[in-house]
Amino acid sequence: MRAWAPTYIVIAAALFSAAVAGCSDESAPPSRPELPGGVGPAPLRRMSDDEYLNALRDLFPGQAPALPPLPHETASAGFANATEAQQPSDVRISRYETIANLYAKGATADAAAVAALVGCTDWSMPTRAAACTAKFIDATGSRLFRRPLAADERERFQLRFQAWRASIDFEAAVFLTLSAMLQAPQFLYRPEPSSPDASNGARRTVPVEPYAMASRLSFFLWESVPDDALVAAASRGELETEEQVRGQAERMLDDPRARRVLWSFHRQWLGLDRVLGDEHLVRTPEVDVGWTASTPVAAAIESQLFVENVLFANGSLRDLLTSRRAWVNADMARIYGVAAPADPAAWSEVELPQAERAGILTRVAFLAGHSHRGATSPPIRGNGVELRFFCQPPLAPPPGVDLSQPKADPADGPRTNRMLFEARTAPASCQSCHRGLNGLGFGFEHYGAGGRYQAEERGLAVDAHGRLYGTDIDRTFDGALELSAALDESSMVHRCATQQWMRYALGRGLVDEEAALADAVSLNFERSGGNVRALLLDIVTSPTFRLRRVGN
Amino acid sequence: MRVNRRQLLKALGLGALTTLATRSPLAFAGGGGATSPSRVVFFVTPHGHVPNAWTMPVPGAPAAGFAERSLADLAPGDFSEVLRPLHPFRKKLLAVEGLSHTSVLADIAEVMRTGGDLNNHSVGVAGLLTGTRAQQNGGAPCTGGSRSLDQELALRTGAPGRFGSRAYGFEYVPNSSVAPFSFLGPGQATPVVADPAVAFSDLLGYYRPGSDSVQTRDQAIGAKRASVLDGVAAEYEALAPRLDAEGKRKLDDHRDLVRQLEASLGVASPSSCQASFDGSGDKLTQFMRLIKLAFACDLTRVATFVAPVPQPTDIGYPADTTMHTYAHESIANATSCGAMFNPVAARAMTDMGVWYAQHFATLLQELDAVPEGSGTLLDHTVVVWVTELATPTHLHHDAFTLLAGGCNDFLSTGRYVRYPRENTSPIAGFAKAGPAHNRLYVSLLQAMGQTDTTFGMTSAKGADGSTIDLTGPLTELHTA
Repeated sequence: MRAWAPTYIVIAAALFSAAVAGCSDESAPPSRPELPGGVGPAPLRRMSDDEYLNALRDLFPGQAPALPPLPHETASAGFANATEAQQPSDVRISRYETIANLYAKGATADAAAVAALVGCTDWSMPTRAAACTAKFIDATGSRLFRRPLAADERERFQLRFQAWRASIDFEAAVFLTLSAMLQAPQFLYRPEPSSPDASNGARRTVPVEPYAMASRLSFFLWESVPDDALVAAASRGELETEEQVRGQAERMLDDPRARRVLWSFHRQWLGLDRVLGDEHLVRTPEVDVGWTASTPVAAAIESQLFVENVLFANGSLRDLLTSRRAWVNADMARIYGVAAPADPAAWSEVELPQAERAGILTRVAFLAGHSHRGATSPPIRGNGVELRFFCQPPLAPPPGVDLSQPKADPADGPRTNRMLFEARTAPASCQSCHRGLNGLGFGFEHYGAGGRYQAEERGLAVDAHGRLYGTDIDRTFDGALELSAALDESSMVHRCATQQWMRYALGRGLVDEEAALADAVSLNFERSGGNVRALLLDIVTSPTFRLRRVGN
Repeated sequence: MRVNRRQLLKALGLGALTTLATRSPLAFAGGGGATSPSRVVFFVTPHGHVPNAWTMPVPGAPAAGFAERSLADLAPGDFSEVLRPLHPFRKKLLAVEGLSHTSVLADIAEVMRTGGDLNNHSVGVAGLLTGTRAQQNGGAPCTGGSRSLDQELALRTGAPGRFGSRAYGFEYVPNSSVAPFSFLGPGQATPVVADPAVAFSDLLGYYRPGSDSVQTRDQAIGAKRASVLDGVAAEYEALAPRLDAEGKRKLDDHRDLVRQLEASLGVASPSSCQASFDGSGDKLTQFMRLIKLAFACDLTRVATFVAPVPQPTDIGYPADTTMHTYAHESIANATSCGAMFNPVAARAMTDMGVWYAQHFATLLQELDAVPEGSGTLLDHTVVVWVTELATPTHLHHDAFTLLAGGCNDFLSTGRYVRYPRENTSPIAGFAKAGPAHNRLYVSLLQAMGQTDTTFGMTSAKGADGSTIDLTGPLTELHTA
């Protein structure tokens, strides 16, 4: 329970929004309600590959060795960081070894590098070598393991170091010890072991141990290891209360490293890297004569710049859905019909045409990534919205139905894509699902399979009227701009986004005990006007993030 | 007897490492070198075969029941179009017409009732090699519901110095998700290595030609690899007991794999094996050579290769062709609602089959070129060509399976066999289907020296309420 006056939050929140957000939301509640309890399990997490590579980058800023590809992670419910899909494999273990050796080699490339890593310049005499060894193992071990070494750990690494030094030399021992540390579970995993005391006794919740809390925060908000300030806070026991956690999290969200989680999450949630799939290397000339193999990459980068730039500056779900800001290169400018940067290799900020574009759903990465080479697929786009914004898993079509692209019979004269799909999915057995899928997907028909805006298709006027069914915002709408604005008003959409963020933060699906918490966080999110920063602060200060279950 | 990796490593303990290092490589060749070890390759291709382009007539066969013919005396022109590139190996082929992905059909029938992902691609990818119901993933494509056959065999045939299996190939992406066909366990995809050069260096990681002479300081550091891995494993052992059961299991599994890598470093490879990377030819061809290398050096006995959908230009079609659309349109009179038969599509899917067959032939050629014992590597291997879907129209009823190599005379090759379609489909309204692919897998387990009589699902319900038996081997494929 909080021991401080609730009025403090109001002031802090008001100052925060005045200073940083520069906007006021009249619907914001007068005080932030206390989040209900409900603490889920905390299964052992391995670093996701994004986290692992970021950690290496942050720990060894001077190095950028060419690395062998890590095996693909199995995504669970759309996210690759789910603990349930983290079974190790021989290929993965072999990659960890290779990569550890590459970094160990780089970190010991010459005497100066070793001296910098070890924090000593002279290890020629046995007594000095012993002091340097202790210093190296403690400093590097605690940096890699995100906490001070335990006595038994220190002893094991020292014994091995001494054996390797005796067998080869001091520098080689540094190489080999660093390699071992980079393959150790204390580095690759995020263990939160219980003390024997905590394991016994009645089942209860206790604050996550400070160093483990530092890792929880940094791996979520930065997708990487904690920095010195966070570890220092942990060492002082200052990651226990809600306000302590909030203070650190606010600092972290101001750091550019927080861009990583914004992109990683949205990339996976919204399928923004679908466009990088093989199918999208090519577009037929009718769709886009200018499409080249580099266009999908540019589309993915454009969506990344949009997500990061809009959301990092205290952005909201509304911005994500409705902002016309864009960062484009020549290729994206061509597709959007805006002025290209003078430098063809540059990316510059533009405002997209008001009548044609709004947020992420009207960007090439989403539109083309949910299309085929030669034509759009309203059901795929509709499914993209249902699954991602309403958390509604698709029902597969019954076996044996024709999933191919419908084509016009030349004898019938020109047909729009919409007309073809309407005919194909007309049977009643199709309509139970396609009423909703088409209702959403048809709203995107102003955008071709390459994301270009089209007022006409095959000489016929485009009809982009759509309809929402079975939601809290059921209505007809005209085009993706109206759809995007409607999604922003939906409580269901805010709840779905909250669930996805929590799943991502926790590395697992939510459990029943967390239902009330998820509802409260989602309500806060909606009331904040979809403020993503406020949502992340709510998540990291929530009981399920700060506390853990112990006892029997 | 089943010995899994963990039991094996436990039995070996730490002291075994030095023993292994001095063991004769021949001791690994199964039974002290008297017989050659059996191997298996799963050659998996997306979509399925156009029936008319794959099947061959069986003259004089009865109207009903099992039928077969010899391939030995046929001329190339007598072979079906897809199988024709394999004519030179006809005495070592066993073509099997009429199996059914029965466990997949049963899964679909159940998911139709309960809801979930029953996209024919997803369930095929999840169920083809597992033979069980898929694991549903709440909106994301379903994944394998259990360990796949290749990984089961990997566990049983792996040993220190030898990978359980190698999984190579391409990301096959029907639903924008990596679909490996091969699963370590429920929902756990087997890593598939997609770059031949990386795959080669993986194999070299195990390959230690001659004695490890230590001359330079770098070599001295390299020679400490096993020592580092031993230290790493010790850290897993120290931490694991302090975690909950699930965390402990994960760290134990990780530790086992570290120990396996460590143990492997001391094992010599057969001196006959020539390890060099040949980057010529397309990637598929490079992988075929890598499988040969891995088998010839006895670095694994199980390989899985997932072929890509060819780029249309690879098989002579315009770059903007969508092969997936062609698949739907490739069979005349198909029952897909609204599907329009397109002869060009049938041609394209046939050409795709021929393209796969040409690469399959490359693999057979590579394996058959390595003398081993009284025959060739191919004679001691069975290469199994299975398809994601049975037919390109996305059905799982009528599959066309090609086996090559006798697996140490376990399989009776040089034949084309046709199974009758006698089982009611688990899905109402569909044609009758032949024996389950699960039963082929029982035969393959037995070919690999195992004694299993079932794999995966053991029975399924036909739509008419009948019970379909998925157990027991397909003895018609075995040598007498």
